[in-house]
Amino acid sequence: MSKPVEVVILGGGTAGWMAAAGLVSLLPHQRYRITLVESEEIGIVGVGEATLPQMKNFNDLIAIDEAEMMRSAKATFKLGIEFVDWGYKGSSYIHPFGIHGPPASGLPFHHRWLRTITAGRDWDIEDFSFAIAAARANRFDFPVTGGPTINSTYSYAYHFDASLYAAYLRSVAEGRGASRIEGKVADVEQDGASGDIRALLMESGERLEGDFFIDCSGFRSLLLGNRLGVEWEDWSKWLPCDRALAVPTERQDELTPYTQSTAMEAGWRWRIPLQHRTGNGYVFSTGFSDESKAAEALRASLGSPPLAEPRLLKFQAGRRVRNWERNCVALGLSSGFLEPLESTSIYLIQIAIMHLLPLFPTGKVDKRLVGEFNRRMDVEYERIRDFLILHYHLNTRDDAEIWRYCRNMDVPESLKRKIALFRHRGYIEDYRDGLFNPPSWLSVFLGQGLRPEHYHPFADGVAADRLIGELEQLREEIRDRVDEMPRHATFVSRYADAHQTTEAMLHEPEMRL
Amino acid sequence: MRRVRSVAIVGRDAALWLAAAAIQRALGPTGVRVQAIELTSWLSPVDTYAALPSLGSMHRLLGIDEELVLKAAAGVPMVGQRYSNWAKAAPAFTLAYDDEPPPGGGLPFTHYWVKGHKEGLRIGIEDFSLGCATARLGRVPVRQDDDGTPLAASYGYHLDARHYAELLKQVVLRRGIEAVSAGVHDVAIDGERMMAIELTDGSRVEADLFVDASGAERALIGRMPGAEFESWRDLFPCDRMIAATGPRLKSLPAFSQISAFRGGWIGLYPLQDRTAVTAVYNSRAVSDRDVAEQIGVLARIAVSGDAVVSELKQGVLARPWVGNCVAVGDSAAALEPLDAVPLHIAQGCVSHLMTLFPVTAEEMPEAIAYNRSIAEFVGNVRDFQAAHYKLNLRFDEPMWDRCREMKVPESLRREIDVFAARAGVILNDEGTFFEQNWTLSFLGHGIEPDGYDPRIDLAEDAAHIQLVHQRLRTVAELAKAMPTVDQFLGVDQPVEAASVR
Repeated sequence: MSKPVEVVILGGGTAGWMAAAGLVSLLPHQRYRITLVESEEIGIVGVGEATLPQMKNFNDLIAIDEAEMMRSAKATFKLGIEFVDWGYKGSSYIHPFGIHGPPASGLPFHHRWLRTITAGRDWDIEDFSFAIAAARANRFDFPVTGGPTINSTYSYAYHFDASLYAAYLRSVAEGRGASRIEGKVADVEQDGASGDIRALLMESGERLEGDFFIDCSGFRSLLLGNRLGVEWEDWSKWLPCDRALAVPTERQDELTPYTQSTAMEAGWRWRIPLQHRTGNGYVFSTGFSDESKAAEALRASLGSPPLAEPRLLKFQAGRRVRNWERNCVALGLSSGFLEPLESTSIYLIQIAIMHLLPLFPTGKVDKRLVGEFNRRMDVEYERIRDFLILHYHLNTRDDAEIWRYCRNMDVPESLKRKIALFRHRGYIEDYRDGLFNPPSWLSVFLGQGLRPEHYHPFADGVAADRLIGELEQLREEIRDRVDEMPRHATFVSRYADAHQTTEAMLHEPEMRL
Repeated sequence: MRRVRSVAIVGRDAALWLAAAAIQRALGPTGVRVQAIELTSWLSPVDTYAALPSLGSMHRLLGIDEELVLKAAAGVPMVGQRYSNWAKAAPAFTLAYDDEPPPGGGLPFTHYWVKGHKEGLRIGIEDFSLGCATARLGRVPVRQDDDGTPLAASYGYHLDARHYAELLKQVVLRRGIEAVSAGVHDVAIDGERMMAIELTDGSRVEADLFVDASGAERALIGRMPGAEFESWRDLFPCDRMIAATGPRLKSLPAFSQISAFRGGWIGLYPLQDRTAVTAVYNSRAVSDRDVAEQIGVLARIAVSGDAVVSELKQGVLARPWVGNCVAVGDSAAALEPLDAVPLHIAQGCVSHLMTLFPVTAEEMPEAIAYNRSIAEFVGNVRDFQAAHYKLNLRFDEPMWDRCREMKVPESLRREIDVFAARAGVILNDEGTFFEQNWTLSFLGHGIEPDGYDPRIDLAEDAAHIQLVHQRLRTVAELAKAMPTVDQFLGVDQPVEAASVR
């Protein structure tokens, strides 16, 4: 057999260790050798303490024990994101990881709901989402699988400490055969003729040769951006936030099974409940606020004393126009940045790994595969971009300049079309690749205050009274089922208490069927 | 705002009645008036429709019984199409149109096969496809009731075109739709709004929404501003079609035979009472007369009666929905009758129209979404068909040589590249064909992927061999357990019979 492909991962943050754990678990060892280079002196950004349900698929795929991971990363469960004050002051909606009511006769649920509104019922569509009802009641349980029951209509994600998750993945990756090299990179050696990266030259004098490089160096994008010169595409005209201040506070008594995002005078503020602390942060635009004002606004909003000094992050929304160039792929922040409004940072790392695997070089890099990977990542980035812009654009707030600016800005054609069709008739495009699916779009459209002018004419095929009866029954069933669920905090402490040892867990009574 | 209260559908043959049936079924209960204006049929007694498995779903949705269809239209189940002579030196291959992805160890089975093939496996991919295996045995992959089946496949149909259209018409009329037979004399248009149509019988039809199912005539949409036709002639060299008929085959195959020849291709479609024959060709490579004279020889079947020549103009409308006028089927996009797509185009358009049925009579921004979806939908079918031409290996014949050299759309180039490099298939939002359909076509046309998904090598060699052999056994056993076409149809052996080869 030919000699194995040497894969060198530069950077050991969330992206680096996800890549290392993913590749070492899913690629054959006799063909690939995985080495990760990182320096303890370089801090990690540790983006995205909140995740999407896809995270669970990734963990399952590489055979990670959920409870163990959750204990290690001090994780809690997440059923969605609450958006406060976004569309207008005083508003609150949840973007759930689940549907709002089941479809019927080929029609998405919201057309039937709109019909009942026209018929005189004034009820919130949130009442028909199991995930939202559970989230608002601070309850959690695993979804039931394999049945048409109401408590199978959602999925879940995690809130976790990303640095701890990375550390956990490091132990997994190293345990499965990935090597780690401690040290800083002094220079990069390229092939004179092809321009391919040949080796990383370490400060220690070591020369680390590789066939394929994965750039997980964060914002600096040492290989893809700096070395290979792949241009940056700036999206800040649509997503003007360029700073974040992050600060932890004490753990909440009542763990919410959702992330909270509150719109502010120059951006938005997150609150993420973990087992041992609460993550807080303010994402803002220096075009609409200065750093000290933002720090003051964040402090004032905390409610409990900060446990550390706020940490400042600088960024710009956008991406490298190609995520794979020559023999180098960038993952995570070195490939692009989209603010964590919809918890997409870790998803973008994960999906890049999943797109990369089937196309992974077996030897010399094949241009056809490079093109395909880049096309797939274009789709991923643009889908998320549009969805994020929607949150900013669709607002009626008049109290701060940033909201006026975003309301009036010229958005991408792909988004204009989606808004126009939803406004006219509640139509939502359904696409195969990339985030997000129609229930997500629905929750944001409606939550930000856009009520369709019309519903699908087929919804008139059923008598209004009958429809109202069906919906009442659905609402009741959801309430009843949610009442039976354990509290989220209780569930977490039983299932994945960070203070509990594995051994103690074994003696716990069976808690689920 | 005013709701759409009336719909006028102008068209002919199956597309007209499929559209009418679907619109009537969905909107009848809401009080919308649906009128069908039937133009003179373009079908002749020799015509046939080959239809993808999706037609069965449409029938179920419309409440049209399968047995009735098969009986009325002398129908025969069709699992796939057999492509012969598309490469001079290579054997024929079967392209099954199943919709169920075959299970592999978490990865598409193709990759296991490609690895095996590289390591000396001599068994072709078709033996691992339930669709192909049943097609070759003349059997129909019916679904078993006990759902422990590890593999499943689906089937489409061969139907006598006139009888099928007539059946649909009867079904629609029985459901109480208003219908008249007349031609379109003139239309009244105000900007992008169609006000009324004047029929050749002197009557005038007003409606909120006009649907054009008239085929290449484009009786309504052709008069709307901005609905220009974009030709795909540079991808599809065949500009003529001849339809003829021959005797019933002795034992009915479950596939169509699509044989390439110097000037185009010839399709053989078994029906219960006859065999339909269609030649699609380039009039500069062969003359109408030559084809008409030689069609029996080329198809290796005795043709009888008149052969009917028609023109083919492959292409698509820039905007199949303009104002309050929507084109469905051939009037939106015309493709050649390869890969059993003609009815599927009509069906796809109708189903998009149902999703986007306009909510108000005054403005219809739905057109934007419809036009976008239809462009992607038919573009994907076009790519699938164009791949047959692009990948032909009939060297030293000018028409076929040009096809190999032709520039294909970016979407198809990418599809071929990714398959050639890694046996990967790119699926689209509006895709008609499934991963295994593309795979069978590409491998059948002789693409040898350079590699496969590297994750395949995670499995031990022994496990890999076991998976491949297990799959082979399962397919063979399942295929043998399926009913033959004759058993499926419950028909007696015919008196008059011929053989296909």
